[in-house]
Amino acid sequence: MAQKKNAVIIGGGTSKFGVRAATIFDMLQEAANAMSKDIPGLKPKDIDGLIFASTTAGRNSNSLNTAPIVAHRLGLKPSSICVRVDTLCSGSNTAIILATGLIESGISEVVLVCGAEKLNMPQRWESVFMNLITNDHDWDSGMGLAVPPPFFTMIAQAHMKKYGTTKEQMGAVSITNYQYGFNNVNAQFGGKTLNMDEYLAARTVCDPFGLNDCCPVTDGASCVILASEERAKAMTNRPLVYIRGTGQVATHGMSAHWPADTLADWPHLKKAGEIAYKAAQLTPRDIDVAQTHDCFSISEIIEVEELGFCKKGEGGAFVASGQVKVDGQTPTNTDGGLLAVGHPYGATGARQAVEVCKQLQGRALNQVKDAKFALTHNLSGLCAQHTVVVYGTEPVK
Amino acid sequence: MAELKTSQIVGTPYIDGKYAAILDMWPLEAPECNRIYPFYDNLKQGRWTTTKCKKCGNIDYPPGVACTNCWSDELEWIDLPKTGKIVAVTEMAGPPTGFESPLVMAWLGFDKSHPLKHLLVRLINCRLADVKAGDEVKLVVFEVPSHPIDVKKETKVCDRVYYAFEPVK
Repeated sequence: MAQKKNAVIIGGGTSKFGVRAATIFDMLQEAANAMSKDIPGLKPKDIDGLIFASTTAGRNSNSLNTAPIVAHRLGLKPSSICVRVDTLCSGSNTAIILATGLIESGISEVVLVCGAEKLNMPQRWESVFMNLITNDHDWDSGMGLAVPPPFFTMIAQAHMKKYGTTKEQMGAVSITNYQYGFNNVNAQFGGKTLNMDEYLAARTVCDPFGLNDCCPVTDGASCVILASEERAKAMTNRPLVYIRGTGQVATHGMSAHWPADTLADWPHLKKAGEIAYKAAQLTPRDIDVAQTHDCFSISEIIEVEELGFCKKGEGGAFVASGQVKVDGQTPTNTDGGLLAVGHPYGATGARQAVEVCKQLQGRALNQVKDAKFALTHNLSGLCAQHTVVVYGTEPVK
Repeated sequence: MAELKTSQIVGTPYIDGKYAAILDMWPLEAPECNRIYPFYDNLKQGRWTTTKCKKCGNIDYPPGVACTNCWSDELEWIDLPKTGKIVAVTEMAGPPTGFESPLVMAWLGFDKSHPLKHLLVRLINCRLADVKAGDEVKLVVFEVPSHPIDVKKETKVCDRVYYAFEPVK
């Protein structure tokens, strides 16, 4: 059997995220344009594989089996793989796991992982109504669950009750991530500041969530290039960013199968992290910078716990004491995260990968000093599935 | 708003006020559409039911055709107790079209004797101010829109129901 190759990411780019007067194909072309500036010399003919992540269909995205259409619009003629994946909010992070396997096994050499979502529709009700398809339709959506704030607000209530987490600690997440996103020109809330008074005074969405506890409804696209180590060396002079370990754990479809006694505990995320750390031969404290799925402020608090950056139950204090800031123990969501950049479901994982790539190459906007190891995480569905990827400046030996 | 030219628009049935197949928020409940239709038939009689495996005893929710523990297809229908307790409750303005605003939703917990541990539900016949954690709620069944179905050369109408929970007075 041929020896396993190393898979690396070499760069990428995103469209402007926000409420966009653009289709997914417009935004994918914008992201490809940004990627071409990020990886000078990269040509469509260099790419032999395409994995496209998107969730929505119909008026939101054009059609199913979208990958060949994306290939056409980006000038690709894939010869090893051309496929669309849908794992909702973790779409392009899942695509990165798949591309890693294809490259490590020698099936693909250079894979474009991209994601796009057009969530804002001509009328606001359409965007909310469309989200009925993002849950177990016949069993949870019939209860009126479409967009996720009602469910995550119950998670927040559970965490506040069990661990004493406060509204101000959740505010620390939003304020930190808006600060990170301030200079990000592609962020939906780029240039926006937030202080604690403004945070506490914001309109209530779903108690205890105010407007700034929730990521916005976002249109956007992102692209990232994965390649074998050998091919990557011929394509770029920048340091290579190796994919060291991955993990994806899915436990349930509908709410009745929640895998813990309380919504405050996410054992399925803990497990996904442990699998990825083991493969990466690293521990949580080795991670220099992380991009976790801050769809809501409470999400990041629980994620830093379950991913092992702090003890279980201490996530609120961890974020509020600045441990997620750029000079803290584990800088988290350094480009603004979902809260400030926005969350076009399928595009988020690749956006995180681009930020991690820049961090480990030493060229991020909010650069973490001497970052060597990084982690990305997405949750998807009704917090049903967790996807973790660990990166490093050197491969697993 | 200018008047929509509904009569000239082809292919947008929702705008035309017609049955919106793609955007249907309720299950296809008729026996022609699924193999767990007894769930809906029972629901129409006010019963909350699911399937239990005769081989291993596992109780699934939602009900199925094969057991998720051992994949046996030797299943029986059992009744679920129709009450639970509120663990967390919230309300949201701007719910999906067709639901009341604000929509009250709750995370329910069930007794140890209940096959389910917890469930996310819609609460009806109450406002958020009327309920709190610890309160007991019970199953309530209601009609939802019917839909047409082609059976051979006929078009028949499928009546449908769905369920939510309401406070135990």
